[in-house]
Amino acid sequence: MDFQLTGEQRDIQTAAREFALGEFDPDMAMEYDAKQEFPVSIWKKACELGFLGARFPEETGGQGCGLLDHSLIIESFCRQDSGMGTALALAGFGSEMILRHGREDQKAVILPLVARGQGIVTAAVLEEAPVFSSIETAARATDHGYVINGAKSFVTLGAMASYMIVACRSGPDAPHAQSNFLLDASLGGISISGMGDKVGMRMIPVDRITFADVMVPEDSIVGRNQGGDEQLREFLTEVRIETAAMGMGIAQGAWDRAAAYSKKRVQFGKAIVNFGAIRNKLADTYLDIQTARLITYKAAWSFDRGRPDARETLMARMAATRAAYRAAYEAVQVFGGYGYMTEAHIERFYRDAKALELLLEQAPIQRALLADQLLGEAQ
Amino acid sequence: MGGQGYLCPWVEKRYGGAGLGLEYSFIITEEMAYAGVHGLMAGLHSDIVAPYIHAFGTDVQKARWLPGCVSGDSILAVAMTEPDAGSDLSSIRTTAVRQADTYIINGEKIYISNAMLADLVVVACKTQQGSGSPHKDISLICVEEGSPGFSRGRNLEKTGWHSQDTGELIFRDCKVPAANLLGEEGKGFYYMMEKLQQERLVSAIMSQASAEAVLKMTLEFLSQQKGFRKARNEHSMSQTTIVEMATDVEIGRTFLNSLIRDHLGGGEVIKKVSMAKWWTAEMANRVASLCLDLYRDYGYLEDYKIGRFFRDVRAHPIYAGTNEIMKRIIAKVLGI
Repeated sequence: MDFQLTGEQRDIQTAAREFALGEFDPDMAMEYDAKQEFPVSIWKKACELGFLGARFPEETGGQGCGLLDHSLIIESFCRQDSGMGTALALAGFGSEMILRHGREDQKAVILPLVARGQGIVTAAVLEEAPVFSSIETAARATDHGYVINGAKSFVTLGAMASYMIVACRSGPDAPHAQSNFLLDASLGGISISGMGDKVGMRMIPVDRITFADVMVPEDSIVGRNQGGDEQLREFLTEVRIETAAMGMGIAQGAWDRAAAYSKKRVQFGKAIVNFGAIRNKLADTYLDIQTARLITYKAAWSFDRGRPDARETLMARMAATRAAYRAAYEAVQVFGGYGYMTEAHIERFYRDAKALELLLEQAPIQRALLADQLLGEAQ
Repeated sequence: MGGQGYLCPWVEKRYGGAGLGLEYSFIITEEMAYAGVHGLMAGLHSDIVAPYIHAFGTDVQKARWLPGCVSGDSILAVAMTEPDAGSDLSSIRTTAVRQADTYIINGEKIYISNAMLADLVVVACKTQQGSGSPHKDISLICVEEGSPGFSRGRNLEKTGWHSQDTGELIFRDCKVPAANLLGEEGKGFYYMMEKLQQERLVSAIMSQASAEAVLKMTLEFLSQQKGFRKARNEHSMSQTTIVEMATDVEIGRTFLNSLIRDHLGGGEVIKKVSMAKWWTAEMANRVASLCLDLYRDYGYLEDYKIGRFFRDVRAHPIYAGTNEIMKRIIAKVLGI
């Protein structure tokens, strides 16, 4: 058993931390947050330095790192700024599926694009049907390929994406007949509209995408035809670990700020860090954070060893995003009235933490899935 | 609201009010919270600031100011907090020096609700230094819009309460008539300690009503979601969460109603009101957060008003004395 990061991992962590410290200007972040705009220039810089494609193979612009390495980068980014960190972490959302299941020619197009910051990739998975597994967007086989019809919602950076991975029903008995298609976003029949302002994670707008007789060639399918459901599960497993890493970063960043502020802020003749009420909060949330960190690193480590563990990934996702919410909530409280003001740069962590909790799978779903994993499905 | 009698309905008829009981005001505050209209701050105006004038003002001051409070022509604010004096109210630095029949006020206030709009601000100032007890140095002085040397600073951006202004007030050799002193010199701290009880009660009413509103809108949302019942497994687990929230809300309502009764009866409520203030604020945030989860991805979209409630209620554990201060007060009452 070895709980140490490797020297290389510590180097990655330091590099990511230094980059974030140098580039994530808090006032600039506040502006992007207010404008609900993706931070393009920061994203490009992060890509130039190889942060976002680090986990891709070298021949596709990456460094062949593992998911734990990638998690360390995301965590460091979110620790410095919850909004910019989550925005950068989701700029290549969906590329995981190409990395794990794509053909070589698909990898050759998508991965360098994401790694070099030349384009945004996204995954259009959710639909406005309440049950996650019931995908209604359909791909019908024709002589020349497929015709896609349907609608997706909550698509991160949909309007900015050059490519999108679209989960479709490709036979009558979904979810078993489900395939994922890689689409050029400029194809005819695709229309995109924004879903409006968000409570948190405002630098990553979400969009509705409709597909009206979108004709795609047969080779647009990612991986195995009719293998979409399984791919999606694997994809979600990986995304859960990434989400956990974002949560860790937000939690730690909020905690750092609360601790620092509590040492500076004087009331009743002493720094408020000396009051039990504040010490309780900082001790409790630190416990949450460290517990979540252990599960998150463990889940990423198992993943990198080729044995992703559904229980671990769910627990990591749950523990880390919950820790983020708790730590950010209490951090706002430590800051008092100032904390409720945007200029204190802590309320953004709070809103972003809650938005992260709500990303893709919400707590009730996570808990139900974990129970299924532990106990089998309820009869 | 003033035109229709919704402001300060408890003020006597001779000052333009309806002469009703405070409970009418609380009902209005509650309805405003149900509607999610935090921004108008009618509760602050009617039940937090106006009572200072009513309780400590002279007949002349009351005749001069209360009719405007009732009609809405005069918007009220109370200025206690300063950059270095939040929870520790006795450490304020704003000074008011008496010169003949005027006070010269110098200092800055921050996070003041209604700062930009207020026509009349009750300002906590130090009228003397070093009386031995910092509590005895503080007085309350009414500063009116247009007083020389009185200006507004920034209107601050914040998490929620976007339809309401929270800002800075600046006093630079601000001159107000000595007749604007509320009550006696040196008693301001005690006045605030007295009136903060009702402020905290108003805060608890807003928290409780917000939690009730959030739970109600969530149940409505879920009943409209056609597939909610389809995911049976998850549903039975969520049911437990909803029931727990409904129980919290019910217990909060019972406690709050008993507190309102005690307060209206004129009883001593310091312990109970401090408990209600922190507990309902925390409960409203817990309910808002758990209900957002039940909205699934829609929870983070501003198109759904629950998101606004979620952002708004985050202020509740902070203003009117933080939850930590409430617990400090309760500890004192308990003698621990």
